[in-house]
Amino acid sequence: MIADLIQNTLDGLGIGAAYALLALGFTLIFGVLRRANLSYGAAIMFGCYAATWAHVNFGAGLLLLALITVAGAVLAGAYVERLCFAPHRQGSAIAAMVASFAVWMQFEELATLVMPTHLYAFPALYEGAPLALGPYTLRIDALAMLGAAFAACVLLWWTLYRTRFGLAVRAVVEQPDAAALAGINVPWVFVRVFALASAIGGVAGYLVVASHGQITPMLGMWSTLKGLLAMMLGGLGSLPGAVVGGLALGLLEAHSQWFLGPQLRDLIAYLLLFVLLAARVPWMNTRSAS
Amino acid sequence: MDEYTIGVLTNIGLFSFVALSAYLLLIAGELSFGQQAFFGVGAYAGGMLTALYGWPLPLAAAAAMALGALAQFLVGLPTLRLRGLYFAMATLAAAEMARILFELFHWRRVINGELAGPDGTQGFRGIRWVFEHGIEPIEYLAMVYGLLAVVLAGFLFVERSRLGATLRSVGQDPELAASVGIDIQRVKLGVAAAAGALAALGGVLYAHHNTYIEPRNFDIMLGVHSLAYALIGGLGTAFGPLLGVVLDIGALEGSRVFHGYRMVAFGGLVAVLLVFRPRGLLDERMVRWLRTRFT
Repeated sequence: MIADLIQNTLDGLGIGAAYALLALGFTLIFGVLRRANLSYGAAIMFGCYAATWAHVNFGAGLLLLALITVAGAVLAGAYVERLCFAPHRQGSAIAAMVASFAVWMQFEELATLVMPTHLYAFPALYEGAPLALGPYTLRIDALAMLGAAFAACVLLWWTLYRTRFGLAVRAVVEQPDAAALAGINVPWVFVRVFALASAIGGVAGYLVVASHGQITPMLGMWSTLKGLLAMMLGGLGSLPGAVVGGLALGLLEAHSQWFLGPQLRDLIAYLLLFVLLAARVPWMNTRSAS
Repeated sequence: MDEYTIGVLTNIGLFSFVALSAYLLLIAGELSFGQQAFFGVGAYAGGMLTALYGWPLPLAAAAAMALGALAQFLVGLPTLRLRGLYFAMATLAAAEMARILFELFHWRRVINGELAGPDGTQGFRGIRWVFEHGIEPIEYLAMVYGLLAVVLAGFLFVERSRLGATLRSVGQDPELAASVGIDIQRVKLGVAAAAGALAALGGVLYAHHNTYIEPRNFDIMLGVHSLAYALIGGLGTAFGPLLGVVLDIGALEGSRVFHGYRMVAFGGLVAVLLVFRPRGLLDERMVRWLRTRFT
């Protein structure tokens, strides 16, 4: 019993780290633009499919695949920013969201056109046996996800609080008009934030796909839903909240899957979000305008 | 008309109901990612009442609409005070819960010596009331459009009335609406119930057109499509969402000009369209212009 709990906790932290990365990317975009980017997961999927394509056709290796995934996600993210968000910066949030949904459909169809089979194998991050810690096992790819999530958080913190770019981002978040008056090129900050968020998403996508060892067109919707869920659970718009939300979602899923099965696992995550929103818990800032 | 055309036209009619339900909420200022749930509630409830309990379709449709209205009213009760993305995410959470509950829902009865009824992820087949009552596809098409015409007439009547002005004021400036004595929560709950009933009606008709439904039919794709239909077609008039559905299903499915690239072309077109017309083709200004032109 206790052993199960500990093992589930270890597993949950691994996948939770990936959720945390997805939520971080979502939060960056939401924090800066106050808009939800529905094609976030689709852009990640675009990167992962680009890598799969390179693997199938040229047998590209692990490191190269990771680079292609991130580059593909950044490229797709830039396209989304230019087409769906830049034109609506002062205008309708709903129009931007629906436009990003339309682009999601584009990416999804493109993926199935270029790679027509439903499922492709993706080279695994680590082939060997899991690490044994007494009675417990620790998957190496879960460790890698935790490590990558931790590194991404540190890097992000450093970027936002220790660089000129970070200062500009924070200024744009707090006072967009004043930031523009102070000489900050606000549209350029948006593009770069989008690229940064997409790169983080690309890392998350790569880790998830490599740890599953396969890729399907469901990846886009999966990443978007998990990222949104983790972002909302942690309080919309807070970076530490996104990390906590992601890890909490991973832990919740691992435990509920073990005790109740996969269908109830998803049900419980959505139920928790619904109840927290309805109860208007303070950390979600539901009382402030958005 | 050949079978295929009738099928496409029927689908346009069916999805217009759920697009109109998303439109109604948008007019009142609420963004819902969850209309698919009430479409699903209608499909399951209506299908069960005719296929398992021998109800006539009109009665089953009325009951399903009542259930859809109640369901969205109950979801709206704790969530309609939330704003923007918070409300959208709450509706998404509710809809995904509904989809998973459909997956867990088994209600099998022996009908004519065979087990029938919802069977979890295996779906719910044999919703044959239309077929058993000798209704031809073209007659069913006429039924769907007859109902759609009634609903549209209702929309047009409401939009020209005081109630329509109330709805738009709640949607566009809730503070102002509240200051002139409008009870925003009450208006929004009414809108939610009406939207739930509309989506459920679409669901009943969908179930009886397809004769087979499964939980996957009611995932987030349907919900966001409904929203997109309303926004592409335009938020100025109830004809807007209809135009959106026609553009997507009709023009592209019907002509098949884009072959495999349907969504690549359509998705790009929608994103570009929204740059120039962020409230859709038939937005408020366009509607006003058309009205001065033709009346």
